[in-house]
Amino acid sequence: MSVLTIASSKGGPGKTTVTMLLAAALAKEGQRLSVIDADPTEAFSRWARQTYEGPPFDCFFEAEESRLAHRINERAGLDELVLVDTAGFGNRAAAVAMTSADLVIIPTLSGEADVTEAEKTMRLVQGLAAAARRDIQARVLLNKMRRTHLARHAASEIEKAGLKRLKTSLSDLVAYGELSYSGILPSSRPAVTELGDLLAELRKEGWLGPPPGKKHRRAKRTIAS
Amino acid sequence: MKNLKSRNRPTAEEALRAVSQHAPSLPPVQVDAADRPTTLNLRVRTSTLRALEAEARRRGLTMKQLVAQGLQGLGVAVAAADLEDRTPRRRFD
Ligand SMILES: Nc1ncnc2c1ncn2[C@@H]1O[C@H](COP(=O)(O)OP(=O)(O)OP(=O)(O)O)[C@@H](O)[C@H]1O
Ligand SMILES: [Mg+2]
Repeated sequence: MSVLTIASSKGGPGKTTVTMLLAAALAKEGQRLSVIDADPTEAFSRWARQTYEGPPFDCFFEAEESRLAHRINERAGLDELVLVDTAGFGNRAAAVAMTSADLVIIPTLSGEADVTEAEKTMRLVQGLAAAARRDIQARVLLNKMRRTHLARHAASEIEKAGLKRLKTSLSDLVAYGELSYSGILPSSRPAVTELGDLLAELRKEGWLGPPPGKKHRRAKRTIAS
Repeated sequence: MKNLKSRNRPTAEEALRAVSQHAPSLPPVQVDAADRPTTLNLRVRTSTLRALEAEARRRGLTMKQLVAQGLQGLGVAVAAADLEDRTPRRRFD
């Protein structure tokens, strides 16, 4: 139902890591989701196949834009959530995934060049939204943040540039990096809190449905009353 | 939950069209090795072939493009490479 595309024009700000975190956290909740890997390096699909250890979710590799466009629509009709991880350079597959998205998450590091790149990606989303005549929301997700002056500066630069961002940001944590080879969702403090905050924020804005357990409980209560 | 209601998602064709309209210069990602070119041979009546030829000429397309576009219009996931005119051009130099 919801399509969330994770994109950035620049390589390496954490697209695949964010996709892994979201997929693992939502699968753990019992959410019905699929992930489409649109990056020819197949980093995400390889991880899902060989490394990930958690409740299963469907994962597809489609880097060719036409097949990708069809696959997104097909999965959007079947699953509550479709995540699309894209390649870190301007390419048609990433643009297709942006055009078909309800929300584009733009992971961004705190350097000055990174903020400029985020602006570029944001403009591309706006242009595609206009061409497709639909509303496509986009949010910067500050990633690998340290509690430094630079990080605060990046956050304010992003706001100054008029770029919308998610209130939640992700810290620079070994636990996040480890996910790529452990396949296990972080279970220690700052990571768990941040991930919980991220999911809560996405839910509050309507980009994610309620956790399956909650929905179920609410339904039951209605029947009982 | 405001956003969960009306998604107004584009069809695959609309999304592809929006991309080629707004960002025609974006490169395709490298063709994955699994999607190698292969051959489709169609045995058709001469009249069908003539009609295909005529329509392709009228539209300024190759016959393969015409067939590929028609199939895409029916919702078949035709690879982007098959929608382009890739006829080798002869060079005179
Ligand atoms: N919040 C974080 N804390 C620590 N390490 C991180 C964090 N986010 C990402 N990384 C690490 O940074 C590196 C790059 O991340 P990732 O591969 O997710 O980026 P990407 O945007 O997908 O890159 P590409 O453009 O090449 O696809 C990886 O080694 C990853 O483990
Ligand atoms: Mg990646």
